[in-house]
Order: sequence, then structure tokens, then C-alpha cells
Amino acid sequence: MTLRRFMWIFLVVALGAAALAVAGRWWLHWPDDVVGMWTGIAAGYLLGALLFLLVPRWWRTHCDEMYAQPASRRYQRAMWPIMAGYALSLFLSVWLIKQGISSVPLRALVALLPVVAIALFMRAALRYLREIDELQRRIETESIGIASLLVALVYFAGGLLEKAKVVQVDAGVAMIWVFPLLCLVYGIAKMILTKRYL
Amino acid sequence: MNNRLRELRDAHGWSQGELAERLDVSRQTVNALETGKYDPSLPLAFRIARLFGQAIESIFLPEN
Repeated sequence: MTLRRFMWIFLVVALGAAALAVAGRWWLHWPDDVVGMWTGIAAGYLLGALLFLLVPRWWRTHCDEMYAQPASRRYQRAMWPIMAGYALSLFLSVWLIKQGISSVPLRALVALLPVVAIALFMRAALRYLREIDELQRRIETESIGIASLLVALVYFAGGLLEKAKVVQVDAGVAMIWVFPLLCLVYGIAKMILTKRYL
Repeated sequence: MNNRLRELRDAHGWSQGELAERLDVSRQTVNALETGKYDPSLPLAFRIARLFGQAIESIFLPEN
């Protein structure tokens, strides 16, 4: 799998989601929130495809070479079903919660459904980390370290600002954003660290 | 640390990718080793030395 192929996959998904949104809006008369959801998915995947298109050539070459490594291939094979499971469990969880579940333990169980996929992702990531060669492992661990420290710093600062009543952030939103922020900073750190060794 | 990795690889007529395969590392790692941007761990240095049939200290040389 190459970055270009990822771009095409994202583009196809974006077009499919956009087609569903258009069909839902004009022919199937879906409710506005469902049309909005498919529009959002289309926009997200289109943005992803654009990001794949705009990455520097050196990064594309590096990623394509790394994706061809056996450890990366195993990691990707593990990741596809996990990400599909995550998307499905997230939809299912949000939809079921919106229907209203009166039992608190059951609501907790349903709300935590997407966590299973994230736990499996972490297991696959750890296996990948153990299988790659020593330089790649150094880059990965350093990137994870930088991401953990920076996100902890941001959250510590945010907590202080919240306590001083300078900002007001919903606790649930703040907690949900920890993992995406870690992934984002990890990705940027990995790009910078990789460039150092090229 | 300086090293003679590129010289030894050229002598064997191997590409970076071929050497990477023989050492079970990525091509980027071989490139980083050759350009002196990365110093290998002791186990990898031993693997390199064994592959070329030379002592570690004849492949990896201190800066001074």
C-alpha cells in the first residue's frame, strides 16, 4: 500500500459519502442530521485525500518504503478491520445512546463500545513497535514521548486556565480529544524526527 | 562515529536495499548508518561485522 493508494481510497469514500448525502437530501428525503452526517464524512475524507496529495515527496517516498516492510504490512493488515470496527461501534454507540438507555450500567457499556477498537489499535501499535528495526523504533518512541509530554503540558495549562475561570471547556470533550491530539502531535514529531535521519 | 559501511557495501556490489535485507533493517536505517547520522546498537554492529567478516573496530571508527 502506498500513500497515493490511500489518497484514492479516501477520495472514493468521500465521493461515496457525498453521493449518499445528495441522494438522501434530494431523492430519499432523509432527516437533516443524517444528511449532515454523510456530508461531514465526505468532507473529512476529502480533507484526508487532500492531505495525502499535499505531503512532501520525501515523506511520501519514506512512507511508501516503510509500508513495504513486513512489520508495516502486518500492522496495516491488523489496522483495517480495527478501524472499520471503530467506525461501526462509534456509530452504533452514538445511535443507541441517542435512542435513550435508562439502565446506567448498560448505558456505560454502550458508551464504551468504541474503546474496544482503540484498545486493539494500541495492541497492534505495540506489536509494530516491537517488530520494527532499531532506528525506526527510536523515531517512534521519541515521537510518542514528545507527543505525551506536549499534550500533558497543554492539558495542564488548560486545567490551570479552567480553574482560574479564564476558559470553560466541557470535560467530556476535553477527555475525548486527548487521543486525537496525541496522534496529531505524534505524527508531526515523527515527520520532523524522520527528516533528521534522511 | 565514522564507518566504512558504504565502502564495504560497494565492494560487495550491494544496493542499500540489498544490505538492508541482509541485516533485517530498513533501507533508511542503512542510509542513516552510512551517512553517520545514526550509530548502531552493539547487536546490529556485530551483525554488520559478521556479514562483512571483519572486526567491529575496523568498520566503525571513532571521530578522532
